[in-house]
Amino acid sequence: MSEMEIIRDAEERGRTDLWPLWRKAYAQGDPLPKFVCQVSRPAHRFDEGQALPEEYKALLLKMLRHEGERAGNKSFLGFMGTCLDIAEALFPSREMKLLKAEYLAEELKHAIMFHRLAVGLDHDFALRDVPYAHYAFHLPRETWADDAYFHFFVDLNGAFHARDWRESSYVPLQKMSATVERDELGHSEMGYYFLTEICSTRAGRALAQKLLDKWYPAALDMFGRSDSPNAPKFIHWGLKSVGNAEIRQAYKAYVDRKLLALGLDLPDERKNRRFL
Amino acid sequence: MSEIVEEIREAYQAVGIRLDQPAAYGTYYRLLCAGCGRMVGNVGDRLLPGMARQIVDEQFDLYAAGLLGCACGHQRDTTQRLNPERWRRSQARYGGLTEGAQS
Repeated sequence: MSEMEIIRDAEERGRTDLWPLWRKAYAQGDPLPKFVCQVSRPAHRFDEGQALPEEYKALLLKMLRHEGERAGNKSFLGFMGTCLDIAEALFPSREMKLLKAEYLAEELKHAIMFHRLAVGLDHDFALRDVPYAHYAFHLPRETWADDAYFHFFVDLNGAFHARDWRESSYVPLQKMSATVERDELGHSEMGYYFLTEICSTRAGRALAQKLLDKWYPAALDMFGRSDSPNAPKFIHWGLKSVGNAEIRQAYKAYVDRKLLALGLDLPDERKNRRFL
Repeated sequence: MSEIVEEIREAYQAVGIRLDQPAAYGTYYRLLCAGCGRMVGNVGDRLLPGMARQIVDEQFDLYAAGLLGCACGHQRDTTQRLNPERWRRSQARYGGLTEGAQS
């Protein structure tokens, strides 16, 4: 058995009626929107080992710095530690803690995948410690509901970006995009499963409604400014298909529908926003 | 200690929560109940200026009602001392909802 087959086997033996949560979501059809580039651009395609144009490589590294899930990124591993801390201190049952452990296992799988990609790209980058810069990764998590929102919103952001990587001009990223998208969508569904449990009581729903004011603006802010000067460059080089405003709009439509299904009121989309 | 971390520490101190030593290579901090020492959450050090104060202030009602904070009740008691009038309004708004809302 190859190394990857062993990992796949271990992963498949972890399957239950519930886990992985992406199975149910994809069984009902493609859960995510397709992003189609609306501008004319050259058809770039670069594989590992090829010389990369300077601007292309700089943008690719910038994108991967934000992504963060690399074995050589000790801040990512530290963040995973905080996830266990939260589960141990705040989660209500062993079943939920085990789901969180499955999440961690998959994120560590991504850390291996992105490590391989980083090693193929730039050895110094593969070893670089890059703490998450966006404030969404730093918001206080003081209850199981906070953690549920973190996964529902933040992992979904990862799923949307991974969906866009299906068309990436960087072949190693394009090859792993479907797995990352599927897993991250599953992590978001885990958060949504937690939220469904939480909102099943009046107290839980009141808590979730109040905490939504903290997480909703952060979630929308994660896509960056709508007028980002880098967005057209990413699109030109085939590293992204659409700009920040377009992907945020599609994301907002997705989360709004699911939040309304929980019986929650949507916050004003401009309230407490930092990056419009 | 950075200005942001100091802001976080002060904001949480007001409601009876103590910032622990840095964890996860200095990026994240455990939040501990200032009454009994139990872990009640965590927070990172890349919040934007003013954000920690705003978040903790907006969560006042939740601490006051016991929907957030330690099971020992320290944050509920601390918020009552901090602003008795606001605390009473929180009880009116969230009173009776406490059971089973958090873990």
